[in-house]
Amino acid sequence: MEMAEGLIAIAIWLPVLAALLCYFGRSYGLRNAIAWITGIALALVSLALLAIGPFDYQPSGILGVSWDQVVTVADFALLGLILYIGLKNKHALITVLTLIQLVVLVYFDFFTGEHTAVNPAFVIDNLAIIMSLIINIIGSLICIYGVRYIAEHEEHHPVEKSRQPRFMFWLVIFLAAMNGLVFSNSLLWLYFFWEVTTLCSFELIGHNLDKEAVANACRALWMNMVGGVAFILAIVYLASSLPGQPLAIRTLLALPGGATGTVLFAVALLVFAGFTKSAQMPFQSWLLGAMVAPTPVSALLHSSTMVKAGVYLVVRMAPAYQGTYLSDLVAVAGAFTFLAASVLAVTQSNAKRVLAYSTIANLGLIIACAGINTPVAISAAIALIIFHAVSKGLLFLSTGVIEHNIGSRDIEDMGGLVDRMPVTTIIVAIGVLSMFLPPFGMLVGKWASLEASTQLPLVALMFVLASAVTALFWIKWLGRLMEGEPGLARMKPEKMAPHYVVSLGGLALGAVVLGMFVVPIMNKLVAPAVEVAYKTSGLFTQGGAIVAQTASKTIGAFTAWPLFVVLAVAILAFWLLFKPEKASIRPIYLCGENTGELDSTSFLSTADQAVESSLSNYYFSSSLNENKLNKVGNVIAIMVIIMLLGVTVI
Amino acid sequence: MRELVIILLVLIAAPILGGLLSGIDRIITARMQGRVGPPLLQPFYDVGKLLGKERILVNQRQVLWAIGYLALVITSLAMLCLGSDLLIIVFVMAFAAICFVLGGLSTKSPYSHIGSQRELLQMLSYEPVLILLAIGVFLQNKSFLVKDIFARPEPLLFSLPLVFVAVLLILTIKMRKSPFDLSTCHHAHQELVQGITTEYSGPYLALIELTHWYELVLVLGLVVLFWAQPVWAGLLLALAAFFIELVIDNICARMTWSWMVKLTWTVGIILCLVNLGFNLI
Repeated sequence: MEMAEGLIAIAIWLPVLAALLCYFGRSYGLRNAIAWITGIALALVSLALLAIGPFDYQPSGILGVSWDQVVTVADFALLGLILYIGLKNKHALITVLTLIQLVVLVYFDFFTGEHTAVNPAFVIDNLAIIMSLIINIIGSLICIYGVRYIAEHEEHHPVEKSRQPRFMFWLVIFLAAMNGLVFSNSLLWLYFFWEVTTLCSFELIGHNLDKEAVANACRALWMNMVGGVAFILAIVYLASSLPGQPLAIRTLLALPGGATGTVLFAVALLVFAGFTKSAQMPFQSWLLGAMVAPTPVSALLHSSTMVKAGVYLVVRMAPAYQGTYLSDLVAVAGAFTFLAASVLAVTQSNAKRVLAYSTIANLGLIIACAGINTPVAISAAIALIIFHAVSKGLLFLSTGVIEHNIGSRDIEDMGGLVDRMPVTTIIVAIGVLSMFLPPFGMLVGKWASLEASTQLPLVALMFVLASAVTALFWIKWLGRLMEGEPGLARMKPEKMAPHYVVSLGGLALGAVVLGMFVVPIMNKLVAPAVEVAYKTSGLFTQGGAIVAQTASKTIGAFTAWPLFVVLAVAILAFWLLFKPEKASIRPIYLCGENTGELDSTSFLSTADQAVESSLSNYYFSSSLNENKLNKVGNVIAIMVIIMLLGVTVI
Repeated sequence: MRELVIILLVLIAAPILGGLLSGIDRIITARMQGRVGPPLLQPFYDVGKLLGKERILVNQRQVLWAIGYLALVITSLAMLCLGSDLLIIVFVMAFAAICFVLGGLSTKSPYSHIGSQRELLQMLSYEPVLILLAIGVFLQNKSFLVKDIFARPEPLLFSLPLVFVAVLLILTIKMRKSPFDLSTCHHAHQELVQGITTEYSGPYLALIELTHWYELVLVLGLVVLFWAQPVWAGLLLALAAFFIELVIDNICARMTWSWMVKLTWTVGIILCLVNLGFNLI
């Protein structure tokens, strides 16, 4: 085996081995060591893959059995396990959806004759390398954070027999499944890894074992099994409409003139499967329900795994449905989710729910970009996948730290956190600002997506409205964190475990540094991934600026570094010019009726009674009702999805 | 080199221009109200006086955000003058406004909190129209770059008349004039203490005032884009828009934030859409 091929084996098998050690080792010290060692090793593997560049890999069999056969057996074992879960929880939907998949799989394996073998089974191209960087660097940081977090979690919620080993088992094995998923060229292998991620998230969401956790885990499972049914049906359709051709991503992307007829329908089914996994409307509720799980799970699901698998598939398939009505409707569906989820985020006071709706919104934006399907749009989609993973991972991990410190995840309980937890607050601020403002990376994606959207007016309009709403829910939250006591004392950094320092610090640094190096990232990483199918990436660099071009005409330009200089100058100016000793402190203005102390927020009311003033955000509960919005949104989304599948049939 | 000159010009000339406009504003407003009004240079005297006052604060983060606000407003104005991407300018303007909001939110003062929340809602109101303006410009020019607007022979006003009306609407919000002077305002009779700037005083308030001068030039600069060639016509258009805003300011009372959001999200957006729809046909 060559070195490159060995790296693929490590990327998939090392997390499996680590997971088993975590499960059977049953000691914190061992899990801790494994998390650090595996994390570092996986990060290095993904960097090595980046250095090596694209290659194909066909693993030879094991003990005389081909891997295709192993995957088939594993498929049945996996579906059997999920069927058992459905029966044990007396959950009819899970049971039925699993049975359907089993029946289709039996039909496919035993009644449709011999299938052309896929060779190579793994294709490590530029997009796969980008995904593996996200999975193995950000995912590993989350696992390192997780090993510490879950230990604290059990101090807060004591259990008879520690569930930390099984938690780490599923957390780490998730990375193996994701690596397999993005490297797979064979659709059957992709399907297998796809279902493994579904199972992992079920086990992780249900970790706390209370009623709500189990119910939400089951919801996540059945919704993703709907996607699983679509996936296996797509495979069967493809087998019958492309006889004699290997069932591989490469086959679909190499079809002359793109996908048509039943092949296009099968592609639509795959896109639909991507929608379920990426929690697009009407499937958003499973990701919101996943909030009951311990924070590292949310961080992992939202940033580097699970939901990213969904958008990965949609973006991966984009060249196959380029120029079809399907593509336009994918754009509309994504843009609609972007808008609806952004509005929903405004109504939330639970920080994790705000983050969840924001994830759903951003995934919608990515999917909309895939649907717009121009080189600029695809570049935007990939940039968004990268930068969203960093910023969202960061935000979830810091919310977890806050929750363990103040015992709440409600934004209204986080008032004035800057005085108590200044470092965490600054990290949240970096996360929030890097989600939607220049000069950070996400904005490059958003800017490019807006510039690409102009050919689809409805999509452009939804982008515009959603962008305007985005600032509202982010700044409402950040503002509450920032409200401080009177005083000019230097902030005292709070103490943090090394796990948190490394994971939060690494991601915060990443959000800033990746933003600074957005030009090489777009040039060296994103552009090659787009050029494979689109000949050009639509984005070029000109003297430090990213330039968007269509038909060799420059339509827009974005230079990040001057803005970083401005921000640095502003912070330096404050640092150097502001002299605390020359300023004096006063209490806040309460019409002169303040009571005594400097930091008091109460005022003298009738009969000199002290009344405490209190602050709160707008949640627009009278005009925006979460349940109603979700219902209306679901109806519209279902109609768009029916149209989306329908246009491929007629 | 040319870029450096432009940036220096923006840094020095824009506040002088903004301060003078602000003085003209006060004279015209006074005349409309039957008063004589202050001298033209009164805004400069005011800021000069503020700079000499005692430095009073609640906490230092107020200053950090105020500096950020100033720096980003100057940046967006410079980007406009350098002919950058209009969309990016709109996003930098948003960052600037967010710094202002966070400055107001960095104490526990109820008054500045109300002002800041309202400033956020003002952003929510004008942001769609600004982005639609950028898209409208793109549909005309096939480019988001401001320098391509100046390279265009005929004025944008003729192709984007309804977008222009929508921009006038949000200009009232951006200039914090009645009926949309919700976050902070200059009419003492309808103000909740001093809104978002309640907790700023002395030199720090002067910093905010200076930023508002830059901001005034920036938003009027957006009006100039509608008649970029010849540029003197655009400047006249901007002055006319400025005068209209003063009239509106003096004949309206402050309205509620929900009315503002409803108005811009219906009338403002529909005006833009109808205009862009006609352009596409």
